[in-house]
Amino acid sequence: MILLEPHNYIIQTTLAEKAAKPGYVDVQFVDFDGVRFKLSTPDKKSATNILLSMNIRCWSELVKYGVNEVLRREYGGLVLAQPELDYDVSLEINLEQLPPEGEQRDAQIKSIALLKRNALAAPFERAFKEQKQLEASGGSQGELTALHYRDEEVIYVQASPDRVTVIFSTTFREETDRIFGKVFLQEFVDARRLPTIQSAPQVLYTTREPPLEIRHVPGLVDSEDVGYVTFVLFPRHFANADIASATISHIQLFRDYLHYHIKCSKAYMHSRMRYRVSEFQKVLNRAKTEVAVVDRKTASGRSMMR
Amino acid sequence: MSNTLRPYLAAVRSTLTAALTLEDFASQVVERHNKPEVEVGQSKEVLLNPLTISRNENERVLIEPSINSIRLSIKIKQADEIERVLCHKFTRFMMQRAESFIVLRRKPVKGYDISFLITNNHTDTMLKHKIVDFIIQFMEEVDKEISEMKLSLNARARVVAESYLTTIRTHCLIPRFAVHLMNNELHGETWYGAG
Repeated sequence: MILLEPHNYIIQTTLAEKAAKPGYVDVQFVDFDGVRFKLSTPDKKSATNILLSMNIRCWSELVKYGVNEVLRREYGGLVLAQPELDYDVSLEINLEQLPPEGEQRDAQIKSIALLKRNALAAPFERAFKEQKQLEASGGSQGELTALHYRDEEVIYVQASPDRVTVIFSTTFREETDRIFGKVFLQEFVDARRLPTIQSAPQVLYTTREPPLEIRHVPGLVDSEDVGYVTFVLFPRHFANADIASATISHIQLFRDYLHYHIKCSKAYMHSRMRYRVSEFQKVLNRAKTEVAVVDRKTASGRSMMR
Repeated sequence: MSNTLRPYLAAVRSTLTAALTLEDFASQVVERHNKPEVEVGQSKEVLLNPLTISRNENERVLIEPSINSIRLSIKIKQADEIERVLCHKFTRFMMQRAESFIVLRRKPVKGYDISFLITNNHTDTMLKHKIVDFIIQFMEEVDKEISEMKLSLNARARVVAESYLTTIRTHCLIPRFAVHLMNNELHGETWYGAG
């Protein structure tokens, strides 16, 4: 599995299972970026009503960028006016109202499983719209939207008349991660030289030094461990709704994708080292002289144990 | 094997073989103690002259002989940041398993990456020339292993970057079903396998 999927697998499978055979459910689980989910049956008497709640770190910022409109568009009446305690948004799913088993039901369940993706899509959709306006009106720069989606990491999105710039700040907790991260990011920059991917968004990266767009933002951490990755999205990357939504799903997962593969390569190195060390062990064992193990017998013919 | 590696390893091999003339020797300082003198270092008269064999400024071997033990420290080539990290990881991984590598020291001597301590007990229970073989083979393969790990890291990074950017691009150019085809192709590749 090279690419990560934007939907949440647990929501998808649990809902599909419960839709086929309604029953009591109460599960709490997490997704990337510290997003918490809870799937529960609020009313113990009727198993057909399921409540899905999500807690996301940057909810207050998302509200500013119009997440409520996006969710209302995607989920309509499912969104509860008053979310569950401790959570930011709740969807009430009536299993009886789901379409009959088949493709339609799968599509609806999948769209529910995309809750996190849809919530995080709000600032991107806003920036795409803003770019169209700026292009028409000939304005200069859109507002810089910041999304503090993790404790130390931020996504910045800014629209300009001819492009949308997405900047990720990412921290590497460990020395090895930092160095591996550098190798990976350099490949992202170099990969565009290939003729087949020339139309992909341009990628730039810097470590420590923030890019010009966000240099005025207060509170940027000045450390070797911080990296900034800039994606430049041109209008062709969000030309129509389908393309735009695919681009959003992808861009959102960039940080997770990068770190996932850093961890993967560390695991791979580990298995390699394990193999190599066992080979060395064999070589050293050849140096040991064989100690002949003779089965010693007592006078009565039994084995002597010590 | 490159031109400079062969004489380097030959020099280490013959020096080490010559130095591996160890005998049982009880401590002169503490009664009924028998310790590797090269580690204790309290009786100067039983320590022999340490010797450094250098291939270049980044790769060298230090051999410190004494009457009942010999310490051999290796500095492994580290050309850049990645090799430094990989070398550190690899030597650490080995040293954590030092008890199964009987002759390996748990910590390297200062200024080196990995150290071995061979005592007279080891030469009594193990074949001397095979211990030398082991150390020479280790020196040969550790460089190879580190450069292979570096290459595999780069290869993975490239595939990762290309498949990410390709998906964004394909969304823009060709209809959806083609994306699935391309993903399948990527998933089918076998570069992932260990070994």
